[in-house]
Amino acid sequence: MYDLIIIGGGPGGVAAGIYAARKKIQTLLITDSFGGQSLVSTDIQNWIGTKSVSGLDLAKMLEEHLRTQEGIEIIDDDLVTGVQDVQDALGIATKNGRTLQTKYLLVASGSRRRKLDIPGEKELDGKGVVYCSTCDAPLFKGKVVAVIGGGNAGFEAGIDLLPYAAKIYLLERGEVPRGDAVTLAKLTASPKFELLTMAEPQKIFGEQFVSGMEYLDRRTNETKRMDLQGIFVEIGAIPNSEFVKDKVTTDKLGDIMVDHKTQKTSHPRIWAVGDVSDVLYKQNNISAGDAVKAVLNIYDELNKSQA
Amino acid sequence: MANIKIYTTPTCVYCKIAKEFFTKNNIAYQELNVIEDETAREEMIQKSHQLGVPVIDVDGEIFIGFDKPGIMHALKLGK
Repeated sequence: MYDLIIIGGGPGGVAAGIYAARKKIQTLLITDSFGGQSLVSTDIQNWIGTKSVSGLDLAKMLEEHLRTQEGIEIIDDDLVTGVQDVQDALGIATKNGRTLQTKYLLVASGSRRRKLDIPGEKELDGKGVVYCSTCDAPLFKGKVVAVIGGGNAGFEAGIDLLPYAAKIYLLERGEVPRGDAVTLAKLTASPKFELLTMAEPQKIFGEQFVSGMEYLDRRTNETKRMDLQGIFVEIGAIPNSEFVKDKVTTDKLGDIMVDHKTQKTSHPRIWAVGDVSDVLYKQNNISAGDAVKAVLNIYDELNKSQA
Repeated sequence: MANIKIYTTPTCVYCKIAKEFFTKNNIAYQELNVIEDETAREEMIQKSHQLGVPVIDVDGEIFIGFDKPGIMHALKLGK
């Protein structure tokens, strides 16, 4: 029986692990990887105390800092799949068949990429449908591509594609894209770039690889078809909260609702931090700070229960 | 010794993680940058039917992405 199980190896999970170890809380951290979603970033310039760091290096820094703590147990190759109430504790089940017990649980499982959920997307994943533009943009040299999503992630995908693609369409569902104007200006300066607003993808075509896409022009209600070879999906994230959804209150997006003073959820033994929580701003630094808050609150709770 | 080819782009972080994994386990590999090497790009697409990196070829067995458990199994590496 652990005092605390932490789920996640991003900035939130690691910060929690370090604080828990220093408080000598008997803790287990479970993750399948370190670094969180910033892992694929080529350059992070806002991790406080560090002028510039790649996502991979940040992941290594986090992992190393955690592993130098005494007393913390780490499982680095597993995922939590279920949480159950047992007498005066919680039962935790994992993908690899582990069953564990803990007094308290801190969920820092983050979020994952949202998918379009339209015909052809799943079938052509990796065959022209791309979710990591920094990884795969160079493979689309001389090709016609579409970026889906007019937020900053969509704009960044456009920037990644500029040196390679022959033509880049950026499809935004609303009337105005929400990303930063500075980045958009860099894109619109290129004759290769074309912004399509009020455009909603409906179907992806292709046999072996992507060959086209159908989208709804929401202004005219017309369905239009374009020939292209690449579709870069950048439409935000969904929280990894499914495994605990029936134990805690979530909002309509699936974010776990917390008391923002303590990070406590609606369940008396469960706390949540970072992108899986209903925090207003999803940021590495905020996840780390909120995790510290959560662990200090759990520490108080443990002392109270032992008093 | 297994014959390992890894198809990469310079900006792909999972390619770096895969290469570090091989280095850490003292396993030799051949890296093919599919941006510079068009023949390698065609070879990768033909082998994997994928437009995404990394693709890893372990003695003819093709892994899409850095499939660590799969690769460990193929190389008979214990945990």
